[in-house]
Parts: sequence; C-alpha cells; structure tokens
Amino acid sequence: METVQLKQQLKKQIVEFLNLLSVNPDDIKDNEPLFGEGLGLDSIDSIELIVLLNREYGIVIEDPKEGRKVLVDINTMADYIEKHRTK
Amino acid sequence: MFYIHQTSCISPQQTFKDIDINILHEPTDRKLQAIEPSYEAIPPGILRRMGKAVRMGVGAAMPVLQNTPVPDGIIIGTANGGKEDCVKFLNQIIDYEEGLLTPINFVQSTPNAVAAQIGLLTKNHGYNITHLQLGLAFEFAMIDADMLLAEYPLNNYLVGAVDDISTYNYYFEDKQGWYKKESISNKTLYDNNSTGSIAGEAALMFFVNGTRAGAIAKIHAVDTLHHEDESVMKEKLQGFIKRYLPGGEKIDLLLTGENGDNRLLKYYDRCESVVEADVAIARFKHISGEYPTASAMGLWLCCELFQKGSLPGHMIKRKGSAAAYKNVLIYNNYKGIQHSFILLSLP
Amino acid sequence: MDRIVVTGMGVISAIGNTVAENRVSLIGGKCGMGSLEMFSSKFSDILPVGEIKISTDTLKEKLNAHEPGVTRTTLLALHTMQEALTDSGSTGSEISAFDTALVSANTVGGMCLTDEMYRDSKKDLPGSEYISSYDYGSVNMYLQKRFAMNGPVNTINTACSSSANAIMYGARLIRSGRAARAIVGGTDSLAKFTINGFNALHILSNEVCTPFDEGRKGLNLGEGAAFLVLEKESDAAGKKIYASLGGYSNANDSFHASSLSDEGIGPYKVMKEALAAAKLDPGAIDFINAHGTGTENNDKVESIAMLRLFEKVPAFASTKANIGHTLGAAGAIEAVFCILNLSHQELYPAVNFNEPIPATGLKPVENYTRKTLTHIMSNSFGFGGNCSSLIFSKA
Repeated sequence: METVQLKQQLKKQIVEFLNLLSVNPDDIKDNEPLFGEGLGLDSIDSIELIVLLNREYGIVIEDPKEGRKVLVDINTMADYIEKHRTK
Repeated sequence: MFYIHQTSCISPQQTFKDIDINILHEPTDRKLQAIEPSYEAIPPGILRRMGKAVRMGVGAAMPVLQNTPVPDGIIIGTANGGKEDCVKFLNQIIDYEEGLLTPINFVQSTPNAVAAQIGLLTKNHGYNITHLQLGLAFEFAMIDADMLLAEYPLNNYLVGAVDDISTYNYYFEDKQGWYKKESISNKTLYDNNSTGSIAGEAALMFFVNGTRAGAIAKIHAVDTLHHEDESVMKEKLQGFIKRYLPGGEKIDLLLTGENGDNRLLKYYDRCESVVEADVAIARFKHISGEYPTASAMGLWLCCELFQKGSLPGHMIKRKGSAAAYKNVLIYNNYKGIQHSFILLSLP
Repeated sequence: MDRIVVTGMGVISAIGNTVAENRVSLIGGKCGMGSLEMFSSKFSDILPVGEIKISTDTLKEKLNAHEPGVTRTTLLALHTMQEALTDSGSTGSEISAFDTALVSANTVGGMCLTDEMYRDSKKDLPGSEYISSYDYGSVNMYLQKRFAMNGPVNTINTACSSSANAIMYGARLIRSGRAARAIVGGTDSLAKFTINGFNALHILSNEVCTPFDEGRKGLNLGEGAAFLVLEKESDAAGKKIYASLGGYSNANDSFHASSLSDEGIGPYKVMKEALAAAKLDPGAIDFINAHGTGTENNDKVESIAMLRLFEKVPAFASTKANIGHTLGAAGAIEAVFCILNLSHQELYPAVNFNEPIPATGLKPVENYTRKTLTHIMSNSFGFGGNCSSLIFSKA
C-alpha cells in the first residue's frame, strides 16, 4: 500500500476507533501532534491506539511509554507501521 | 428535611427542553427510550467516550450546575451505572480471547462513572458517592443528602438518579419476565391484567439544600423498606406518615409507581387503602417506563406540579377533593420487595 | 458525643479465612499472592493474584448456601458477615430489627461469572440461574433475605474506596437516628472482567506488587470480604468494644478517571477533613494503613499528600502487599486490619519493600513492632478520583 493511502486509512481508523465525533479524517494534518495540542488525545487514547495498531496491523508494543514515541503524529505512526506491520 | 431548588430531566418524554408533560410519547420497539439532547455542555473529547447512562447523567447535571453554586457533593443513585460498557468490554474479552483490549469500556462501565464524570468535568472536589441498591438507589441518595444537610446546614448537594435501557439489562429483565410479553402502548399500561411492565430509562438531577427561600419543593422525609409482605409495607407506611406529616396537615395527592404488572397490584392497593377516600391518586410509570430508579421521575413530576399548579389528565387515576395539591406522598414498589416512601410539600 | 464503636468483625482474604488467621499472617509478614487457580484465564500463570484458595463449591457447602444464583462475591460476604455477627454476639432479633442497617460495597457483583453473563446478555439464549445476580445490589439482596433483615439495606460504590464509604454511611445512619446498629463492609471476588480491565490499563504487575518501592511496577488484584458491626457506645454495654470510629471523610480528586493529580488534591483534602472531623491534629495519628496499591501513580501521589499534610509522616504500610488490591472489599478489610493494630497495640511488617521512592525517601514499617497506638488512619483512593479516609481510635 502506498504511504499516502496508508495515512488516509490510518486517519479514518483513528477517528472511528477513538470515536472522535466531531473530527473529519481529512482535516487531520500529517504532522499535527496527536497528544496535548493538535488532536488533544490523552493517556487512555495512547493505550487504545496501541490496540488499534495490534488489531489492524499486527504490531505489538508492550510498553505504553515506548508507544508514545511512535504515536507522535500521523507521519511517525505511518512510518512505524510500514516498518513493523505483520498484517 | 431539605428543599429542592432546581431540577433536570432527560427521559422518554418532553422533559428537558420545552417541557410539556401533557404530551405522551409512546414506546418504540417495546421500550420507552429517552429523548436525548445534543449535549452541548459536554466537550466532544469527553462525550465520545461516554456510554448512554453516563452521557444522560452528565447531560442532565450540567444545566443545573451551570445555574447554581458549586455543590459540596455529588450523590447519584443508579442500579446499573455504565453497564452497557460492561457488555462491550465483556464482548472484547470473549472476542479477543483476553488479548489486547481497549480500556475505555472498562473505565466507563464502573458503577460510579456518572458521579465521577460529573465531578471530573466540573472539577468538583467535594463529596462524591454512588448508591446502587436497585429500586432504592435513588432513595438512599436522597437520605444521604438529608443526613449531610442535617450535619452541614449551609451546604448544597446535587442528587441524581440514572438508569438506562442497555443490551445488558434489557435481556436480563425480559428473560426474568419483568416486561410485558404482549406489545402494548404506555397509554393503556394499566389496563391489561397481565404480568410485566414496559422498559424505561431516564436521568434526573435535583439541586438541594436547607434553604426555603426560592425552593420548588420541601422534602419532609424519605424512607425505605425491604419486605415481601404487603401488610408490613402498610404498617411501615402508616408509621411514616404519622411521623413526618406535620400536625394539622393532610395528604392531598398520592403518586404511585403502579406499573401495569398485576403481581404488584396488591402493594398498590394496600398503599391506596392507607390514604383517605378523598385523596387524589396519580400514576407515573406510563410516562417513565419501569426501571430501578424510576421513583426519581415521580419526584420530578411533583416538582413540575408544584411549579405549574396541575398534573396532566393522563396521570390521574382518581380525582380528589383538594383544590390544590400541597402535600404529596410518593410510593414506589420495585419487584415486590423494595418499597420507597417520599413525603413532600410546597415549600 | 456518643462514640460510634466496633463490636464485631469478620474478614477473609488470601492470607486467612478469619480475623485470627489474618492476624497471624500479618504478624508473620505473609504474602498471599500466587497463581490464579479457581477459574481459567489466559493470565493464570502470568499475573500474581491474592486468591482465596477455597473453591466456590466448597464455600457453598460450608455456608449452606445452595440457592440458585449465589455468586462467589456473595459467599465471601456471607462468610464474613457471619463471623462479624457471631463475634458481636448479635441476636436474631437484633439482626432482624427495623433499626439494624446493612450497608456494603462491591465492584464486581455477579460479574465474577463473566462467561455466564456473556451468554445471559444474548437475546436468543435462555437465562441462566445467575440472571438476577449480576447487579451490584444482589449481594445485599441475598444477605437481607438470608438474615431476614428488615432495616435499611444499601449498596455503595466509589470504586476502590467503596467499603470505606459503606462504613461511613452506616456510621451516619446511626448518628442521624435512622439506625441503632449497622453491619457494614465490602466484598469482591476475582473475575476475568476485572483482571482484563486492569490489565488493559497497564496497571497490573506481572510480579508480586511492591507498594511504595522505587521499583514498583503495578498492582496485584486480590479477593476478599470484611464486615464490621457498628453501634453507639451507649448501646454496647457488656459487649466487647474493639475501637471507635472517630472521624471520616470523602472527597474527590477530580483530575482523571483512572489516575490521581500530581499534588494529590483528593488524598490531601480527605485526610485533612477526616482529621478535622475527628478533632485531631495530624501529629495525633500513630499509623496510616495506606492505599498503597503499588502503582507508580498512586504510591507517589499518596506519599506527596502525606508529606504535605504531616510535619512528620507517621508510621505507615500498605497491606495490599499481603493480600492484593481487593477493590470493593479493600476499605473494609483494611479497617479490620487497623482495628487489629489498635486492639493488640502492634504494627505489622510491610512486605515486598526494598528501596524508597527517591523523591520522597519514605519507608513503610519494616518490622513487627509493639507500639502504643491511639489513633490510626486508613486511606482508600479509587477510580473516578473517589478518595476516602477513616480514623479509628483505641477503645
């Protein structure tokens, strides 16, 4: 899958998985921070995103703290998926 | 003894915006489902996680808390809490064979989720508690507020009740025979001589304190009983009235939780026999449906009565002689064993 | 004012089936954590738990509780309520009196039967014998019927501080004249539901928990139950009085659904208020039974709150290192342990502790100690920011 497509798919998956009611996937910028400002996700969301990565892409991240280094923005997530996906 | 100053109600009827309880909405799919508002007061980032019970509870609380002093405590009665999220989490456990699971359903499923979320959203550091004793959960919440106000007369409390129809409880209750087998309208709820009632749901909030000025209603007392024998109930009720009805006053209206289940009629008959023949009798379960904390809806309807001066005709079972309803007794029965008594009057 | 006193107790945990057995284990620094055996789970050999090594069927036999739908959570409550009532010498007519209250707490209810609940929630499958047992209120409904109780019966939940609030509510029913005596407590059994829930939050440790230790990795879940009989001192003439309940408070941290604020707003406030209610200065507290779950967040924040409030932090320890985090039962079990401290004038060694948290330097009680104890504080902090503090005083 092309990186651009992956990023689009990932945005849709994040919005659905986290039930981000008022967010249009297309409005999420690739380099917009997911946590703090930007999308404004919190620590429970980081755990949820680790589950998303596992269910959709077969990626295992054991430690949520390690996970936060991957979950910076769409770019870092897509990059990690491309390198580590098993699905 | 304490006073109600503000109320809020999200229910199957028009009770939240443009309140009009003369209109009676009917069940859909055999359930009286709440008319949910758009929850503008709940930030989307938080709303997205909430199950129905939690968003209804928080949604009912926010308008009250925006118009009142910061309460010294948040006291909620619920039989189920966020059980819908329980089922979602349970499904995850089974579907993913205890693998990697998302925690938000678990966090939202906890029985104290409504009270906790209200506290969290309003940054309230006061007393926070959830009462769960099924059909008496709301009563114990009210008694909690009553005791706290006796200890701290200058305090304010938010007291509420929430229970929703969820995949969890609907099939549990249905399989145990607590809902009508036949499809009926709530407009004829009391007419069928059959077992069961109709499922309902609601979230109600009451802002209470010890101050009479500006109050909507005065709660004289709330009491509870666990007993299957209707004679024991009658004796308890008589004692309750004798103890708490002020001298020289009489009850003008008896509001009951009669719900169309013919197995429970003996309790309501006994209750009606306690009041005099000229006391008006009204019912409310055709409005709310049956669910554990439904007595809160009865209380809310009394607050409406006190503010508007009359009750809709569809609530009246028997007309009384009083020109106006000053003293009201609410009796509710839950599954034959739990009895609740609330005595209230114009402030 | 007429003091509220404790005239009877019952407890069951991973370190003992009675008050006496638990005391022996506490003195000996016993750690009750081990593998999950009573039901099958993917986590059986991965996560240490404080399990009571008595099967549900054996409990039913011993307690003669063969009614359909009785759950393990209820059986643990029944066991300890019986011990407490026997201990207090409560008669049948006292138990059935209209002014005897029952107030207890749990967080699991009948959800310990995770698989049965899954099937019962499906539209097309017939209901099992447990279908009316999943509610939190069902434990008390059973106890009310079993003991033919006619007074107020209430179930409370404030997550991990639930049974501390059950104790408070019972005391307030007595203080307000709504009850003459209150049987108060809590119960929770291990359940696939809670194990998976806490695991999903990444706060369980795959090793035995080490409360207040620098290397702590999370909590271990446990199961258990405890009940206490509360009465006014003036009604307790001729009865054994273990301790009095001098003060209590409930306050909310309101920071996050599953973690405490950095400065410990809730814990600090609740300890301060409990002291004020008991009319005591912080220096009067001889020992704190801490919430101490072994999570990074709780133990650090609890330490900070103690340091903020106490000029010199009193001796403290967490008994969750012995029995695990028993959730809805924790407040009541830990209350019983505090009363053991008071009535025997002794402190038990904190187990599984090596190095203090560097930022605080606080060390729990290291050895069994005979000590003059007058006032003890017991703290419990739960999900949703529900914080509670109880102060027990020597009889």
